Amino acid sequence: MKAANRAIDIGTAAGSPLGGIRTKQILLRRIMSYILRLLNAAGLLLLILIFALPFVWMLSTSLKTLPETMIFPPEWIPHHPVWRNYIDAWKTGPFLHYLTNSVIISVSILILQMLTIIPASYAFARYKFVGSGFLFGVVMVTLMIPNQLIFLPVYLELSAFKLLNTHLGLILPFASSAFGIFLLRQAFRQISDELLEAARLDQAAEWKIIVRIMVPMVKPVLVTFALFSFIAHWNDYFWPLVMTTNEVARTLPIGIAKIREVEGVGTWNILMAGNMILVTPILIVFFLSQRNIIKAFVYNGVK
Amino acid sequence: MAQILLKSISKKFKDETVIEDLNLEIKDGSFTVLVGPSGCGKSTTLRMVAGLEKQTSGEIWIDDICVNDTPPGLRDVAMVFQNYALYPTMTVRGNIEFGLKNKGVSKSEREKLIKDISEIVGLAPYLDKKPQNLSGGQRQRVALARAMVKKPKVFILDEPLSNLDAKLRNQMRTELIQLHKRLGTTFVYVTHDQVEAMSMGDEIVVMNKGAIQQADSPMKLYQDPANLFTAQFIGTPAMNIMNMQDVKGLGVRSDRPVGYIGFRPEQGLMNPAQQVEGLVLEGEILTRESLGAENIYQIRSQAGVFFVKAFLKPLESADHVSITVPYNRLFYFGPDGERLYGAEIHAKHVAAGGVLI
Amino acid sequence: MTVWHKLRPYSMVAPAIIVFSVFFIYPIFYMIYLSMFDWNFVSPTKDFVGIQNFVDLLTEPEFRQVLTNTTMYTILTVTLSTGLSLLLALWLNRGSFFYGIVQGAIFSPHIISLVSISLLWSWLMDPEYGLLNWVIGLFGFEKLQWLSHPDTSLISLVIVAVWKGVGYNTLVFIAGLQSIPADIYEAASLDRSRPWTTFIKLTMPMLSPTIFFLVIINMIGSFQVFETIAIMTQGGPVNSTNTLVYYIYEYGFRFFKIGYASAAGVILLFIVGILTIIYFKLLSNRVHYR
Repeated sequence: MKAANRAIDIGTAAGSPLGGIRTKQILLRRIMSYILRLLNAAGLLLLILIFALPFVWMLSTSLKTLPETMIFPPEWIPHHPVWRNYIDAWKTGPFLHYLTNSVIISVSILILQMLTIIPASYAFARYKFVGSGFLFGVVMVTLMIPNQLIFLPVYLELSAFKLLNTHLGLILPFASSAFGIFLLRQAFRQISDELLEAARLDQAAEWKIIVRIMVPMVKPVLVTFALFSFIAHWNDYFWPLVMTTNEVARTLPIGIAKIREVEGVGTWNILMAGNMILVTPILIVFFLSQRNIIKAFVYNGVK
Repeated sequence: MAQILLKSISKKFKDETVIEDLNLEIKDGSFTVLVGPSGCGKSTTLRMVAGLEKQTSGEIWIDDICVNDTPPGLRDVAMVFQNYALYPTMTVRGNIEFGLKNKGVSKSEREKLIKDISEIVGLAPYLDKKPQNLSGGQRQRVALARAMVKKPKVFILDEPLSNLDAKLRNQMRTELIQLHKRLGTTFVYVTHDQVEAMSMGDEIVVMNKGAIQQADSPMKLYQDPANLFTAQFIGTPAMNIMNMQDVKGLGVRSDRPVGYIGFRPEQGLMNPAQQVEGLVLEGEILTRESLGAENIYQIRSQAGVFFVKAFLKPLESADHVSITVPYNRLFYFGPDGERLYGAEIHAKHVAAGGVLI
Repeated sequence: MTVWHKLRPYSMVAPAIIVFSVFFIYPIFYMIYLSMFDWNFVSPTKDFVGIQNFVDLLTEPEFRQVLTNTTMYTILTVTLSTGLSLLLALWLNRGSFFYGIVQGAIFSPHIISLVSISLLWSWLMDPEYGLLNWVIGLFGFEKLQWLSHPDTSLISLVIVAVWKGVGYNTLVFIAGLQSIPADIYEAASLDRSRPWTTFIKLTMPMLSPTIFFLVIINMIGSFQVFETIAIMTQGGPVNSTNTLVYYIYEYGFRFFKIGYASAAGVILLFIVGILTIIYFKLLSNRVHYR
């Protein structure tokens, strides 16, 4: 579109009868573009503020005393940062236990998913077998069923298996991922046949072709999926909330949400301190590998 | 070293027959080129020899072993792919080594082989690089090295030069010919480029629509084409073909009906100084291509449009020209396109200009 | 072909298929089955009631309120979120470092737990001491009740959802914009197309698959809103923010009316199913320009 503007510029310049008008026009245009750039920068800044200020506000509140939170208009920088709020938040429940649970559950899910989706997506991408269409249909249907839709029957199922309030109950339903299979299958399909044939001529056994050649080829997609899966399950609130009735298997997000019940409504300083505990690691990870994480989430939309 | 025998091979993909009853002997130590337009079945034939495709019926023999049920890795065949098919996750060394490892070659032996081969193809400085960081020509060499290091009985190359630019392609052509001389192994090479086929092969198999049109040495193929297809496929520009009905003043004696006559563009003599016995065509020059040493003219005559190639002569400026093709340079083909070997001229005219068009 | 060759693909897909069958496919049928019974989870017997649960649900004013809330929430969230993100994408679709930072900033809420976002926004929307009331005060407006008043509670939840989702949508749009080959823009500029015409005649049609995709997945997502409601409003005040999943959750786990909750689940399944079918219909005959 720049080219078009330039073409019009030349047209007007050549058409103007007097040099003076032309310089005036150029000057005017320069001023206009300067103002536009200023407005643009201001807009971008405002945008950043809309998304960053809530987090800054969270940090600020987490370091205030309770009376300080009730000053209106609010103050941004607390006079004496109250680090104790973090200890208080941490002590409202068995947070070390929650943290351990979160790690155990997210990591187990990730490992199991890798073990199930790699062979499945490879088979769907590379083998022809009777019923593959139907079985892939099962994957696609699963891809479309949200957890929020089926939690009730799954709850009853887990209760029948005596898996409520256990780590397994929070892990097994996610031991595989339809989304992961979908993504990886695409990736495996894009690998050229020539490469497989070359490996066959190199006398490589089928498992060796998969492990040594095919899987390394899709590593970027695997990393993408791993990030996606880990963040999703680390953050998950709904499933642990619904599938647990006691502390045995509960995770960090449940613990944070419970601070309010323990400390009472209105103790925003403690609550925000707890929130900082939950948010900070994810935000740090995000800013460290922003590119990969954005790719992990946006991939879904582009493909 | 090995000779390859294909005995009445057929290949069907679902209902479509790609190759029907193909018989071919590839001589031990030859550089055999399969050439033909795309979709002629040349790649499929090659892939069946490698074992990457299974023939629907027929037998493939390498030396004295029928390899019908031998998996590709055990046929003692190495292949260079069109897009090289280098393992992008491995270094150059890893690529070359992979097949050896799978064969169970010992580490010390592997290192020696890799060292030798990388010196031959000039890859020694790049052994620890990934293929992505190499140029097209270097990748090509890795693919060659990977194939050579296994010391196969048969070398299969599937359009290996088609991804290189023109200059590099010429260079690699020469290198491949030298390589074949040095190794003495049977090379089977597929290309759609007849120039490449002519310049490299000592045996050329021309294929079309799943059938072999002619298998011969390059010179035989050029001078003695077996049918219209070969005649028109080999040579640039292709052989001029005219419908017999459109050619006037040519009395041909033949035991079978003549459908077409043909002649090579370089055999048409433009405004000959001496009298030559031959077919005279008068026409108008449509285009002139000057390539330096040679000039190519496109000429329209009443018998149709044809090309004439003249060497080391100034560019013809006249619009109307007379072309004489000596009788012994004419080829005759039946209406089905088969070459008529017995056909002869019985009524000879002396070309002097103004004679019969 | 040995037997193992034939069995290999099946053994490779089996673990995943088993997980899906047990935890996704079977529960769907189980839920449809349960929706036809009256059961309180503890009693040993289930009473078959046919479609009575559905009749009860659809005649229940509370459920109708829930359906209306869910639909309103969905329509508002989807239109605001996709509309805003399209504008943002057109604005932010630039490669420089600073634009990268802005893109990262607006995307960041997407990877934060909904728990954190809900708690944070509860505090931002606090009627007495919240930051939002201070900000609108700067512009001379009265303090709002936000989540605490039935008139503003639903729209407050929409604001949170848009704040969380707009970054993701924007980046998907940007990816869509970048997949449009640059040369068609060059051709258009040589044809002296005005920016607006280029946008309407080229960009929008080329972007339409992305728009469909985002509208549908945002709709599917919005219909299942739960976390923000569970933490911020618990469906209140006076049911003004009670939505389908929260309703199912309450009837299932608080009142133990399993059959009744399952019937509501089947209705949600129906809605999500229709949306999904529409999506795949559009996807299969979607306008391919690539």
